[in-house]
This record gives sequence, C-alpha cells and structure tokens, in this order.
Amino acid sequence: MGRSLKFNIFRYNPEDPASVPHMETFHLEETDAMTLFIALNRIREEQDPSLQFDFMCRAGICGSCAMLINGRPDLACHTKTKGLPEEITLLPLPVFKLIGDLSVDTGTWFRAMNEKVQSWVHTDKVFDPQAPEERMENQLAEEIYELERCVECGCCVAACGKANMRPEFMGAVAFNRIARFMMDPRDQRTGDQYFEVVGNEEGIFGCLGLLGCEDVCPKDIPLQDQLGLLRRKMGWQSVRHLFSKLLPE
Amino acid sequence: MSNQPTATQIVQPVRTDAYLDTLQMFTGVALILFMWSHMILVASVNLGPGVMNAIANFLEETYLAQTGGPLIALIFLVHFVLAARKIPFRAKEQKMMWEHSVRFNHLDTWLWNVQAITAMIILIMGSVHMWTVLTNLPISAAKSAARVQTGWWLLFYIILLPMIELHVGIGFYRIGVKWGWITRSNRKGLKRFENKLTLVFVTIGLITLFTLYFIINPA
Repeated sequence: MGRSLKFNIFRYNPEDPASVPHMETFHLEETDAMTLFIALNRIREEQDPSLQFDFMCRAGICGSCAMLINGRPDLACHTKTKGLPEEITLLPLPVFKLIGDLSVDTGTWFRAMNEKVQSWVHTDKVFDPQAPEERMENQLAEEIYELERCVECGCCVAACGKANMRPEFMGAVAFNRIARFMMDPRDQRTGDQYFEVVGNEEGIFGCLGLLGCEDVCPKDIPLQDQLGLLRRKMGWQSVRHLFSKLLPE
Repeated sequence: MSNQPTATQIVQPVRTDAYLDTLQMFTGVALILFMWSHMILVASVNLGPGVMNAIANFLEETYLAQTGGPLIALIFLVHFVLAARKIPFRAKEQKMMWEHSVRFNHLDTWLWNVQAITAMIILIMGSVHMWTVLTNLPISAAKSAARVQTGWWLLFYIILLPMIELHVGIGFYRIGVKWGWITRSNRKGLKRFENKLTLVFVTIGLITLFTLYFIINPA
C-alpha cells in the first residue's frame, strides 16, 4: 500500500467576487509511478471537479503545467510524488497573471517578452520558398538548438528574485532568446541593436545573478553560461563605445 | 499611466545602466582585493608588533595610508551608491523578495539577502571604523590594541569581521557568476573554494583580534 499524501492546494477564482484566496487540503493514496499530473487529475475527478490547473502534453514538452511544488517552480507532469515528502504544497507560479487556482496565463507574458526582444531572425534577404535551406555548420546548429529547446514554461521567471520584485525585468528566458539569435549567422542585427534591446536595467544589467533560473530550468538549458556571456558582451560593447567617444580617431 | 516614451526618454541607445553596472563590478573587485590585503596586513601583528609597525610606517612614509585611506573610503561610498540600485528600498518590493526567498528556499537567493543586509551594517560600521583609523594616523600595533581593549570596540569588530567577510566572499562569487567567469562547469568547485576562503579570513581575523586584545601591550 502506498503512502497517504496530503496536498495543500491554493484555491482562488479571480472571476468570482465571492472567492477568497485560501489553501485547501486533499488526501490521496500514492500509487506506483504517480506524477503530480496523475495526482491532480485524480483529485479533480474524485474529489473536486472545480479545481483549475493546466496540462497539455504530459511529457515535459508543452510547458503548461509549471507550478510551485513545495515552493520550487517545476513541471507537474514530470514530477514524481515518490521524490516528494508526504505533505505537498502546490501554488500557482508567481509573476504571471492568475487565471484560477493553479492555472496562470503565461501566454500574455511570453508574447510581450518575444515582442520586446524581437524574437525572430532579422534579415533583409527575401525568403525564397523554392531555394534549398541555407547551410550551417552542424556544431553551430546544435549549439543554437540547445538554447532553442526552451518550452516557455515560466519556471525561470518564477524562480527569479528580480522578476518577482520588478515585473518589468525581462528574465532569463528573454536573455536565452537573445543569445540564441546572436549565435545565428542568419540574423543580421548589429551589436548595437542587440544592446538596445537588453543592455539596460530591465535587461541583462538588472540580473542579480541569483541563479534561481539555472537551478530550476526543467529542460536544463545552460542559462547561467548564457547570462554571463551576454553581460560580458554587452559590458564590453559599452566600454568600447565609451573609449571611442573619449578617444576619437 | 502611458507606456509611450516621454521626450526625455527618446535618446538611443542609453548606455548608463551598462556603465553603472560595470563600475559597480570594478569597485567591488577593488574593495575585495583591498579587504583581503587589509586582513593580511593587519594579521602581521600576530608575527609581532614590530612587523605591523614596520608595515604601517612604510605605508605612512610612502603616503599610501594618507592617500589610499580616503581613496578607499571614496570607492566604498561609490560602491554603496551603485550597488544600492539593486537593493529594494520600497516596502512592497522588500516584502516580495523576502516572501520569494522563504517560499523558494534557494541558497543563492538567500545569499543575496545576506549580501544586502550585511551591506547596510558595513555601511555604518565600516564608516565608523574608517573615520576612527584615518583621523588617528599613523597606525600602530599599540594604538590598535588600545582601541580593541577599550569600551565596546572588541564587540564592534567581532560583529564587523564576519559581516565584511560574508559580504566580500559572496560578492566575489556573485561577480564571477554575473560576468560569466563562474560557469555551470566550475560553479560548484569555486563556491566551495569561496566558502573555505571566507572561513580562513574569519579565522585569521579572530586570531588577530585575540592577539590585539590579550597579547599586545597598548602602552
């Protein structure tokens, strides 16, 4: 017989004026290979059909099911209850707009972020759908893909002290996006153009280096290395600019 | 509130944040190197008051104490002003950061709180220390011993010592992380090294305080 698990789950429906934010307790018997996805579905099916939470793929690919699991942001679908204590506290991700209970709207935030960092290949080359795709070194393609694996779950943003304090802060996911395009030889943006997007306090110079993002990323994207590299590149860019001002040719 | 830029904001690209952050790093590095050197020089008293006095005389005669002291004080204040940009001063932000730290319970996030709190203590106690020393030059083992053996000064330094070493140690690690010298592959090892270094400096500091309190004759 499995353990008896106690779930403390945040409940609140912002759409209902009578709803008051509170924690609700549910009990469930643990089964083999139980994930939080399975547990939450069982609670909804067997105990409270009004419980709100997001799921799509169940395989850590869509990034919908991110939540605070005992305070730590992670994907519910790939979190096994076996690795958790008997008492499990589930909260919605902070920073993002609350839809209800454990469900948050990450889409609006990510759309705004992608627009802000202009998250697409900037080129003046006209796309020819008939032409073969431009070739790229395999190693470079793999390095770009490594950063491209982000599923936009929002865990890094929720784990970021700065993003919690200051909503205008871009967060590691935005820096990862920029780093990805800076690597891409098809993107024709200059260093100055990248600087304009992230070379400020809302961007890379506002990062406190707390590494919450690095430590929680469910896809294990090397965020720490990208953040350090980006700050150095942008810092160097500004120092070079200062010297060119002070020492004109 | 409008999201449209105001006339004063249409100056592109603005590099101020980059300059300030880079300067924060350089002042931080300068103060870290100074604090380590400072501790080693003061600890020379453990080898005998003559050794410390000889070093102090050298710094005095070469005017390094008279010029370096105020210069360090200036860097100290500039570093405070620059780093304070990152510290939340509004109650709402402080509350959010604290709640986030408690909920997340993540070591590096906690260490940042330690850095911010020690910064405030160092700002006051460090200023008091610098004023006391720099208005009473030249430095000598007897004078330092007299101070440590008088009033509440021993307690003052027993508090200031770990505050400084924690702040310097965490700061050293964080500069490495922020500027990409500490990477995913070497983070664990460097963090352990940094912890040991902090412990070593706290120990040297405590031994030095012991020597100044119990062994050196203030007369």
